[in-house]
Amino acid sequence: MFNDEQWSQLLRGFIEEGRDLAKQAEEYLLVLDQEPDDEQAVHGLFRAMHTLKGSAGLFTLTPLVNFTHHLESLLSTVRDGERRLTAPLISLMLRCLDEIASMLDLIDPDSGELPVDEAHQAQLLDALAEQTGAPRAIAHEADDAAEDCARRGTLERCVGCDAAGAWHISLRFHPDLLRNGFDPASFVRYLGRLGEILHLETLAEQMPDLVEMDPESCYLGLEIALCSSASKAEIEDVFEFIRDFCTLRILPPDSALDDYLKLIQDLPETDERIGSILIASGLLTEHELAEGLALQAEVGDGLKSPLGSVLVEAGMVPPKAVNAALAKQQSARERPNRESSQIRVAANKLDELINLVGELVISAAGAQLQAQLQGSADCIESSQTVNQHVEAIREAALKLRMIEIGDTFNRFHRVVRDVSQQLGKQIRLDIQGADTELDRSVIDKLADPLTHLVRNAIDHGIESAEQRLAAGKPAEGRLSLNAFHDSGMIVIEVSDDGRGLNTARIREKAIERGLIDPQATLSEADTHMLIFAAGFSTADAVSDLSGRGVGMDVVRSAIDALRGSIEIESRPGLGCTFRIRLPLTLAIIDGFLVSLGDEHFVIPLELVTECLELDARLDSRYGYLNLRGKPLPCIDLAAHFELPSSAQGRRNILVVSLGRHQAGLIVDRLHGELQTVIKPLGLLFQHLQGISGSTILGSGQIALILDVASLLRQLQQHIDHEFRSPQPRPDLMGS
Amino acid sequence: MNAINPVPGDALEDSVQHLSFRVRQARYALPIELVREIIEYGQVTAVPMMPSFIHGVINLRGNVVPVLDLAARFGFELTTPGKRTCIVIIELELDGNGQAQRIGLVVDAVDAVLDIDPRDVEQAPPFGTGIRTDFIAGMARDESGFTIILDVRRVLSLDDIRQLSLMQQAG
Repeated sequence: MFNDEQWSQLLRGFIEEGRDLAKQAEEYLLVLDQEPDDEQAVHGLFRAMHTLKGSAGLFTLTPLVNFTHHLESLLSTVRDGERRLTAPLISLMLRCLDEIASMLDLIDPDSGELPVDEAHQAQLLDALAEQTGAPRAIAHEADDAAEDCARRGTLERCVGCDAAGAWHISLRFHPDLLRNGFDPASFVRYLGRLGEILHLETLAEQMPDLVEMDPESCYLGLEIALCSSASKAEIEDVFEFIRDFCTLRILPPDSALDDYLKLIQDLPETDERIGSILIASGLLTEHELAEGLALQAEVGDGLKSPLGSVLVEAGMVPPKAVNAALAKQQSARERPNRESSQIRVAANKLDELINLVGELVISAAGAQLQAQLQGSADCIESSQTVNQHVEAIREAALKLRMIEIGDTFNRFHRVVRDVSQQLGKQIRLDIQGADTELDRSVIDKLADPLTHLVRNAIDHGIESAEQRLAAGKPAEGRLSLNAFHDSGMIVIEVSDDGRGLNTARIREKAIERGLIDPQATLSEADTHMLIFAAGFSTADAVSDLSGRGVGMDVVRSAIDALRGSIEIESRPGLGCTFRIRLPLTLAIIDGFLVSLGDEHFVIPLELVTECLELDARLDSRYGYLNLRGKPLPCIDLAAHFELPSSAQGRRNILVVSLGRHQAGLIVDRLHGELQTVIKPLGLLFQHLQGISGSTILGSGQIALILDVASLLRQLQQHIDHEFRSPQPRPDLMGS
Repeated sequence: MNAINPVPGDALEDSVQHLSFRVRQARYALPIELVREIIEYGQVTAVPMMPSFIHGVINLRGNVVPVLDLAARFGFELTTPGKRTCIVIIELELDGNGQAQRIGLVVDAVDAVLDIDPRDVEQAPPFGTGIRTDFIAGMARDESGFTIILDVRRVLSLDDIRQLSLMQQAG
C-alpha cells in the first residue's frame, strides 16, 4: 500500500494526533470533574476516544484499539445518560489516559510495533470494570459488538438484529483506487471490525469489455449491510483514506432512523444550519456535508436548490431526517466564519529561521558599521533602512516561536487534582493570563520548575481543611497561576492562600544545615531565599510529594538557566506568592554594550536602570558607593575578571537591578544599546560564573554577555564576607 | 609531495592519516578525522576566570568557538603568536550526549599529513616527553624521529577543565 517511509510518516502523524487527543480528553475529564453534567465535555471526551480508536485501527495498533475501546464503550453509556462519571471513575479514567499516552510513546514509528504492559492494562481494565459494576467479560459482550461479531465470524447472527436493522453502505470505487495503492478488500476487512457484515454484494456493471479493461483500474462497487453499534461517522472513518477515491453513501438502519429524528428534535436551540444539525444528530458526516455543499453549488446556477434536497437527492440522508432538521432550523442565523488558519511547522525549521535571522542581525550591524566608517551619507541612510527592516524581521521571527502559556498552565489542573486528593485537601486552581505568549523553548523548560512550585504550594502552603476552618478561612484552598508581561519580561506567579512561609523555621533549619551563620542578620526576604539552597527542606515529615530537600534548588537553577529570576512574597497566615521573571526569548535580546580595556561585554538592557560617571574610587573590587544618599553595592568588573583596565579616562557605573536587588557595575566605557544575538559558549565554559554567553559584534569581535544574577550573588557573598556590618561610605562619591 | 606522503603507498593498508604540527620544539599529531580546518591565528577574545590554557573564543564565520593554547595546556608558557602560528579547528563529542563540539587548538606551526601505520606506534615512555604521559596516545616513529600522537579526549578532559576553572574562580 505504502512504502515504509510513507507509512512511518503517517504513523508519526497519528502519534502526534493521538497525543493531542489524549490531552484533549484529559482536559474534558477535568472539566467533568468540576461539572459532571457538562454535556459538551462528555461528547468531546467520547469523540476524542472514538477518533483515537478509529485512527489506531487504521494502523492496526490492536492493543491501543482494544484498550481505547473499553473507555469508549464506558463513555457511550455516560453519553446516553445511563451512567454518571463519579470522582473515582474520573481518577481511574485519568490513569487510563496516562496508559494511552504511554502506549503512544511506545509505538515504534519505523516498525509500527507497539509493545505493551499487558498486566498493567489488565489491572486498569479490571479496576474500570469494578467501578462500572460490571465484570469485564460481560461489559465486553454487551458493548463490544464489533469484536464479538468479528470473533464469531459468520457462524451466528448478532443477537437481536437482522438485515433490516443494519446499516446500509453503498460504495463505488474510483477507477484510480488501485493505482493509488489501496486494496478495496482491506477496507472491507477493517469494516468487519466495527460489526458483522451481514451481506455484501459486489457490483461489476462498470466493468467494460475485456479488451478495453485496464487491469490497473478498479471497476468495483459494493453494497454492504453492516450490523454494528458504531455511529455513522465511525463507519465513514473506515474509508477515510480513500474518501477521494470512492463514492460513499451510508444509510442508518431503518429502526434507528426514528431515534435520529427524535434526536434532532431534542437538540438544544442553536444557530446551527441544517448541515450542522444533521451532523450533530449523527445522520450526516462532515465530509458528506462538504460534498453536498459542492453539489449544491454545482447544480444551482441561478436558483440555488436547498441543501436538504440536494442531500436527499444524493442519497446521503433520508428525506424524513431532512424535514425534521429543517423544522429545527427555523431560527437559524449565519454563523461567522471562524475557520482557523494555522499551519503546523516543525520546530527545528523555526529554529533554523531564527538562527538565520540572528546572522542577519549581526551582518546588518556590520554593514552599518562599515557605512559609518565610509562616511557616505547615502550609504549610511540605506544601511539604516536595512537595519530597521532587519529589526522588524527579527521581531516577527521571534513571534513565530511564541506560544501561549495556557497549555502549560492547564496541565496543572491534573497535578492539583491528583496531589490534593492524595493529601485529602480541597484545592481549587485558578488560572489567569493563559493567553500570555512566551518563547516555546522557555515554556518547555518551565514545566518542571512550575510543577515543583505547585506541588510545594499544595503540600506545604495550603493547610488541611480543618486548619483552614480554624483559621477562619474557607475550607477550600486556592492556588492560582498567573502570567503577564511586565516591561519586556514575562512574569509568572504561583500563589496560594495558605499559611505562608515560616521565617523563623527556615532560619532555624538553615542554621541546622550549616547554610548560614547563627549570628548572621538576614532580612526576611533573604531568609526566604534560603529555601532555594541545595538540600534545604523544612517539612517535618518527608512525604511522597516533597520534603526531600530536592526541588527548590532545582527550581532556582532551572530559572537561572533561563536567565530569569525568582522572588518570594509571603504574608504569614495569608499565603505566599512565588514570582518568576523571565526574558521573553532566549535567542536575541536587547543588550547594553560596555568595555573593559579592549574587551567588550553585554549586559541585558532590561536590567540596566541608569548609567553614571564614577567620580570616586573603590578601594577594593567590591564595596559600597553612595547613590543619592543610599549605599549601592558595587563591583569593579575589570578587577573582578582580572582584566587590565584602561588607565586613561573616566570610568562609569552601570546601575543594574534584578528583582529587589540593585548593584553598580564599574566599567571603563559605555557604548550603548545593541541587538544581541546570543551564542552559547559551549561545554568548556559551563562552570564559568558571571558570564552566560557571547555575541558577535558588527566588527566581528566577540563580546561576552554578563550573567548579572550570578555576579550579584558573588558580590553579595564578598560583601557579606568583608563587611560584617555594612557601613555606607558617603565620602566615596560626589554629588 | 614527500612531506605529505612520506611512507610508500603500498604499505598503507591499515595506516591512519594524521595531521602533524609543532608546539614549541616537539612534533605532535592528531587523527585527521577530527580536524575540520586550519585557520590563521586571528583575534581571540579572552574569557576571564578560566585556566590560562583556555585562551578564549574566536568568531569562526559567525560561530563562537573556544580556543585552547596547547603549549599552555602542556605546561609551557602561553604562545606568543608568530608568523606560522595557526589554530587547528577540531570537532569532537565531549560529554557523550551526541553533541559534537568545535574547538580550536593553538599550535606553533602545522607540518604535514602523515600516514601512520599502527605497527610503527609505540607506547609512551613514562618520562622524557616533556608533557603529561596521559595526554599521549602513542609515539609514531619515522626516519626523522618521533611524533607524539595526542589523546585529545584527555587533553580536553571536561573534568580536568572544570576543576581547573573552579580553582581559578575560587582563587
